Formats: sequence, C-alpha cells, structure tokens
Amino acid sequence: MSNVTFYDRVEDALNNEQLKVALTRTTSKLGGLRINALASLPDADGVRDRARLIRAHTISKLADYLEQFAANVEKMGGHVHFADDAADANRIVLELAKQYDIKTVVKGKSMVSEEMHLNHEFEEMGITVWESDLGERIVQEAGEMPSHIIAPAIHYTREQAGDLLHDKLKIPLSHDPAVIVGHVREKLRQEFLVADMGITGVNFGVAETGTLALVENEGNGRLTSTVPRVHIALMGIERIVPTLDDLSIMLQVLARSATGQKLSVYTNLLTGPRRKSQTTGETDGPDALHVVIVDNGRSKVLGTELAEILYCIRCGACLNACPVYQQIGGHAYGSVYPGPVGAVLTPGLRGIGPWAELPHASSLCGACKEVCPVRIDIPRMLLKLREEGHEKGLAPAWVKMGLPMYRFVATQPALFKFVIKASGFGVRMLAKIQGNGGWLNKLPPPLSGWTEHRDFPPFAAKSFSEQFKNRK
Amino acid sequence: MQDSRQIVLDRIRSSLKTSVLPMARASISPREAAPSSDYAAMSQSFQRDMETVGAKIHRPANDFAAVDLVVDLIQELGSNEILAWDDAELPLAGLPYALHKAGIRRADHRIPNDDIGRKQKLAALSALRVGLTGASAGLADTGSLAVISSPTRPRLASLLPMTHISLLPINRLYPTMAAFFAAHPGVMQDASNLVFISGPSRTADIEMTLTVGVHGPKYIHVVLCP
Ligand code: SF4
Repeated sequence: MSNVTFYDRVEDALNNEQLKVALTRTTSKLGGLRINALASLPDADGVRDRARLIRAHTISKLADYLEQFAANVEKMGGHVHFADDAADANRIVLELAKQYDIKTVVKGKSMVSEEMHLNHEFEEMGITVWESDLGERIVQEAGEMPSHIIAPAIHYTREQAGDLLHDKLKIPLSHDPAVIVGHVREKLRQEFLVADMGITGVNFGVAETGTLALVENEGNGRLTSTVPRVHIALMGIERIVPTLDDLSIMLQVLARSATGQKLSVYTNLLTGPRRKSQTTGETDGPDALHVVIVDNGRSKVLGTELAEILYCIRCGACLNACPVYQQIGGHAYGSVYPGPVGAVLTPGLRGIGPWAELPHASSLCGACKEVCPVRIDIPRMLLKLREEGHEKGLAPAWVKMGLPMYRFVATQPALFKFVIKASGFGVRMLAKIQGNGGWLNKLPPPLSGWTEHRDFPPFAAKSFSEQFKNRK
Repeated sequence: MQDSRQIVLDRIRSSLKTSVLPMARASISPREAAPSSDYAAMSQSFQRDMETVGAKIHRPANDFAAVDLVVDLIQELGSNEILAWDDAELPLAGLPYALHKAGIRRADHRIPNDDIGRKQKLAALSALRVGLTGASAGLADTGSLAVISSPTRPRLASLLPMTHISLLPINRLYPTMAAFFAAHPGVMQDASNLVFISGPSRTADIEMTLTVGVHGPKYIHVVLCP
C-alpha cells in the first residue's frame, strides 16, 4: 500500500461525482435484480438455510474434504498443488509456465490471482497476460484494480470504457456498449486462439467427484479452460462443497444473489483434462489441468472468531446493499476484497495492523447480513475486529477525536443503552421529517462530523447490544 | 515439485480446534431430488426461461419437420460448412443425410498435436458460423441445456460459432439440476466437460447495459424434438 490513507481515498471517492452516479446506478440495479430473482425461487429461505448449513459443515471438516477433492482431481488425471501463501502460489504457477514453455497466457476472472498480483509476476518474466473478462480487461488496460467482486469496472462510464479500449486495444472508437463488445469479441478471439495457457478462478470444487465449477456469463471462462493446451485453476482452500447435490444448492443462490439470474449463462463443470486414449480421445479441451489450492492466510482466519467469513461464496450482494460501499465504491477500501466482506476478510487475512480502519467503514446497519445468501453475520465480526483494533490502540482518528463523548457513554452500559435507544428514536423521527427513505444526510452536532460525508442509517428495531446479548 | 500440501492441511486441522463456526453440524441429511414426468409443464417452463434471456425455441410437430427446420436455419445463415457433433450424437435420425443432401459439410474437429497445426486448425474452426449439438438434458426450472463433451461431441461446437443450434428431445427434460444429477450419478467420470448453458453469451460490464454475443454464441436455437 502507498502512503495514501484510507481517508484520502474516501475523500477522493466522495468528491468524484461521476463515480457516485455509476455506483448508484449499478448497486441499486443489482440490488433490485437480486430481490426479483430470489422471489422466483420456491422456498428461497429454506434454500438459503441449507446453503448455510452446507458451508458451515464443509468448513468444519475442511481438511478432510480437501484431501478427498485432491485425490479425485488426481484420479481424473489432473494435478493438484497446495500453496502456503501468495509467493508460493506464484512460484508454482511460474514454474509451470516454464515447464510448458509458455509465451502467452489468457485469464478468466480470478480474485485469488488478484491476491497474488499474478499479472505483475508474469510481466516480470516476459510473459504476456491477457485478461478476457470484459470488466477485468478494462481495469487491466487502465492499470487499476477491480472495484467490485463481480463487476470489476463498475466505476466506468460507457464513454470512458469506449475511449480506453479504443486507445489500448486499437479497436474502432464507439461509446455504444453493443458496438464495443462486437469489436472486443473479434480482438480477443485472436488471443484465445493463440494463448498457450489458460488461467481461471474456481467457484466451487466438488469433493466427491473432483469437479471444478466455474460460473460466468461471457464465455471467456469456457474459452480459457477449453482452448489453450494447459489450464491452471486457482482456488482458495475454502471453495469446497462435498457433493454435486450440494453444488446444485449453492448454484441456486449464487447467480440470483450476484446478478439476479436464475443461473449464470455458463456453469462450467470441469473434471480432469481432455480425455485421451490411443484410438479415440476427446478432440478438444486442455492436455493438462493443474489446480492450485491457495491458503494465503485463510487457515489462520479459520482458527479465529472470524472463521464464518470463510462461508462466503463471493456473490457481491453485500457490496450492493452496503450504504458505505454505495457512497465510496470499491477502490477506497484499498484491498483486493472491498465492501463488507472485505472489511472482515482483509484484516483477517493480512492482520489488523494496516487495515484497522476497514472494520469502521460500516454503519453496522445489518444490510449485509440480511442479503447474504449464506447469512454470514458480518456485523458481529466487524465489532470483533473493532474491539481488537481498540485493544491494540489502532482506533481510527475519527473515533478517538471526533467522538470524545462516545468513550464516556460507551463505558457505562446503562447510559449507552439509553443513548442508543433515545437516539434511535430521534433518528427515526428526524428521518421522517427529512424524508430520505429513512436515511439522514445530516445529524445534529456533535455527530455532524460523522455525517459530513455519509448518511446516517435508521437504527435497527433492535439495537446492536440487544442483538449481541440475545445471541450469547 | 514439492509443495505445501502437508503444511496447509496440518494448519487447517490445528485451526479447526479453535474455530468459531456457527451452524456447523457433523452431517447434513441428504435430500431426495424429486423427478418429474410432466413434460408439458417442464417444456413450458424451459421455453419461458430460455426466451426471457433471448434464446429462440422451436417446437416442430415431428422429426421430419425438425430436420427441415434445422437445414433451413443453417441455409438461412448462408453456411455450407458447420462445426457439428458426429452423426450418432445428433438425436434426429434423418438429419445427417438431409445435411449431406443440402450440401452442408461438417468440419473435421480433430486438432493436430503440433503447435502450428493446432493454431491453424483452431483459427479455421473459429471462422465457422454455425455450431450444431445435441443436448444431454434440459433443466426446466432455469431454462438451461446440459451439454456434455466426448470424443464425438467437441466442446468447441457450442462455443466458437456465433450461432449455436442444439437439439433437445423433450423426454430429456428434468425439473431441476439436482434431479438431473440424481439421475446421472456417474456423469462426471465420463467427460471432462459438462456445461449448463442458459442463453446467449452476455455481459453487463459496461454501465450495467446488457449486451449479448461477447465471447460465446450470440444466437441460441433450441429445437425441442417431440
Ligand atoms: S459475504 Fe455473503 S453477501 Fe457478501 S459476497 Fe460473501 S456470500 Fe455474498
């Protein structure tokens, strides 16, 4: 990270009018699509409950399922590598590139590869990497990071995207998405046809069959995992489901929560490399399949009270629902994983030290938990991390200085509860008057410093300390 | 190449001793995925969902009509060479002969091993405009085709061309993905690739504007064979 602080990035984001427009359009649209899609699922609540059970059970027996998964991938002719951390994962991938004499690589979307800064490593080695997901390609050409888990270029307008792609890919200039996409198809098809190696992420690894499930809409994931001679699949250790039936449950909620589709356009199930035989074998598909299973801090998170974040299936719904994300976008978080999930995962994986502000980038309104397909209790873990930050003296400046009252009140439980209840009431009253869908633009002093750049959410009917107590 | 398998697995096992994992149960009771033989209802639901995402569904009255329809579709697109599955894989008996009679050739989909030959072949296949496949199943609740690879069923036929025509006999419909898996327990062992296809290739990466035909087929025709 550079010496640009979290607050600088937030400040920048809040002053970026165009970002605000892009974010509002996208997050509200995705949020609406999600609601309709879940309505199309009979017994959506029951399916979500089962999805949560599956994730919890799998993580509680993770080592056993990983062993079963690895054995089945190998049985079907694939290779499995375990990587301790990002450097280890890079070493494995680069050695494979050398072993197969790779000159060019085409990539599908992979968050793990972002953790590894893999593209940079390849460039150092003189190997050309082409991102093939449209949004991912836009941010690659711009030299940026994705700003959303499932919509990496969410912060771009059509004009910016058209200009950038015209400039970098030398395709004809257009600001019409349909025309741009047509030119990109032609240009990138040539890359798919000559690339020596394809690299993708993995949504789920099915333990009982050794199958990789990879979901996508563009067809770039299919091309990447079908056309090049070698396919490398990067997955986090937690991306396992035990059975095909479990997979079908997870798929019922993943696309609905992410993009509002019943199912993504392509649900690729990949089991081993191309089947070969002396006389008749499959005529296409990769000659070799390597699955790289990456830890990079996850097993450490597993041993803590943050382990529940490993249930995450990376749908992105919590980003769209989060009032803070809606205001500041993904880049302000400064980490690979933005939004509520990132605010827990990043300090968990990398340590609270450099990331102490992230757990505070939340109003604890509970929207993330509400929309999460596997009902991850993100607010609980944000509070846990705040506590840890306080204990280590890492509380962000605004908590220390902006709210001197806070400490006094917060240390006296009775008073704290009274103030929360009273202000909850007050906030709801004010919201009625100001009429902003329950959100306040300006709080009265002394809290006005806090709302200078954020809306204050209406309090939940049950306050946090009440919810906290009930859970215990 | 030595790797970190044991280190990672050991660390996971030791972390699990102190994990806080809400709702973790020792096991989860298996489900029965309900089958269905209500083909009228399933084909209706399949058609509705496929059409919603812009695929075209054809319902010819009988096999003869189906054969004519496929030949017409290909001729309308002006193609005399297509990327197709082998004869035995097309669930429409009269089709191979009709294609032959109409002068529509099937490209040889075998790909040479040497690098230059391989890339030339891929480029040639990529220039074809129509892919023809048979679907192993249709999923009624999501409007999806299950397309499974084999030596005689190349993956590229449903991937490279701008138009993908797929033949789906109505009795291959399943109510859900779970019911399909339950009916085909060994399906993953037999093929390197099973893809569920739910409409034309698409993206919404630029300003959330839905745009079709990104890297896969832009036009999907499903011929529901009686
Ligand atoms: S935490 Fe939940 S809502 Fe957020 S990305 Fe993960 S699964 Fe989706």
